[in-house]
Amino acid sequence: MNNSNKFDLQYFLTDSSFKNWAKGLNKNDIDYWNNWLQNNPQHIETVENAKSIVVGIKFKPQFPNNEKVDQELSKILPKIGLKNSTKNPFTKIQSLNKAIYFSAAAVVLILLSWTSLSLLNVHNTTTHQTNFGEIIDLKLPDGTSVVLNGNSEISYEKDNPRFINLKGEAYFRVKSIPSTNAKFWVITNDLKVEVLGTQFHVNTREQKTNVVLDEGSIHLEFKNGDVTKMIPGEMVSFSNKSNELIHKKVTVETPYALWRGGTYSFNEIPLKEVMFNLELTYGLEVRYSSNHLKDIPISGGIPNQNLKICIAAIEKATGTRIINKGNILQVQENPIY
Amino acid sequence: MELHSDETLWYFFKKGEVHAFSLLFKKYYPQLYVYGIKLSNAPALTEDCLQNFFIQLYEEREKKGTIKNLKAYLFVSFKRRLIKQLQKNQNNIPISEAQLFKSNFTFSAEEISIHQEIQFLCTTTLSQLINQLSPRQKEVIYLKYYSNMCSTDIAEVMDMNYQSVLNVLQKALSKLRLASQNQQIKSVLKKN
Repeated sequence: MNNSNKFDLQYFLTDSSFKNWAKGLNKNDIDYWNNWLQNNPQHIETVENAKSIVVGIKFKPQFPNNEKVDQELSKILPKIGLKNSTKNPFTKIQSLNKAIYFSAAAVVLILLSWTSLSLLNVHNTTTHQTNFGEIIDLKLPDGTSVVLNGNSEISYEKDNPRFINLKGEAYFRVKSIPSTNAKFWVITNDLKVEVLGTQFHVNTREQKTNVVLDEGSIHLEFKNGDVTKMIPGEMVSFSNKSNELIHKKVTVETPYALWRGGTYSFNEIPLKEVMFNLELTYGLEVRYSSNHLKDIPISGGIPNQNLKICIAAIEKATGTRIINKGNILQVQENPIY
Repeated sequence: MELHSDETLWYFFKKGEVHAFSLLFKKYYPQLYVYGIKLSNAPALTEDCLQNFFIQLYEEREKKGTIKNLKAYLFVSFKRRLIKQLQKNQNNIPISEAQLFKSNFTFSAEEISIHQEIQFLCTTTLSQLINQLSPRQKEVIYLKYYSNMCSTDIAEVMDMNYQSVLNVLQKALSKLRLASQNQQIKSVLKKN
């Protein structure tokens, strides 16, 4: 019988009910462990030791105050060539959003239907495709780099690698070629993006196309023949099917969802839209234990290279509990909140 | 709405986001600062060293991979840097960690909360008792109860295995328990 070895320090310390007993927290746990001790008096010493580890010593940490920390921070920022642009240190989410918003170059987000026309000849066409949850970094022959999100596809003809067809979602860093002023195009079902050398994000998930530009300049040519020019900070959303066009300025106040090859940044986007995106990227099904959960707004940056981290970030942002069972994500209220 | 898990912070930090740097700094500077002072007993040196530590962390961010446990990682690397600096100040005479930190981790009565489960001890007595523990025991006590680190992280910071962390904790606390019992007996005897 090796039973006594089982009840070592670690055994007690990893038991949350034991911790409750040690801290005198939960009546059931207290009764249970008092009873257990009476029946197992031989373990009393280990139990005492475990209890004192749980209870520990209560310190009043003398950490430097916020002023001191801010002062030190302002000393250090110039040394690493960064300026502290926000005065208020505790509007954390907003400020990170702003950082994302101001720092990235150009983002074009395109959503369109799956019935994408493929006029391409298979023989001289290069196609890159990703599976659910897979993200790949590509270098195109002209030097442009592309981050292709999960469940997406780009293709181009070999003799024209700056003319890209896209299904799904991708982030482009277009290599500019000043000598020839060569343009770069991304074609979706709803529109054509014409670029001279910038960074942008394209997504063809839904029945519409969203384009967000942070820097540089791009032209859009819609399927209905209209054209428009975008200036940095603007978002265009167009659906060929419904012929619906939205053209507005993205500010920190307006809702937006951006992806920059690894991280989504959301501003006041309802949970259901965020989860819909995950469904498409990872090939999952999302269920809600209650309808009101669908409308919880999300703001902030969510890394999406890893589903687990992504889910954890969404849970924290919304105060929900998301259980991943097979290919089904169950969104529930978090009893802690 | 707390989005800034360490993973998120680290991710943006690695990308060179100013705000991620600031948030990371604000989150960990206080803890690392006090940890450094407890280790070295030298506030000015700790401050300089911590500044340089954050600068280097930023400059070398791209070289660093995904870090599983940011808190433990920062504590370990800052400690290493501090030790190096202290050794330098000793004119590069090789000096052991134990010697270097001979007088480390002293706690004042002000740092101890009055509400203690180890009863009947005033904060002064308890701080004296803790200060009599071995440096290793004090560091574990510090990390566990002052910096609220979990035992797995402590194992990483102290370069020990998990079981040894538990053993050190257990020994330290039972020493304290014993000492507190003696104090109680003494005080009872005094009254009579």
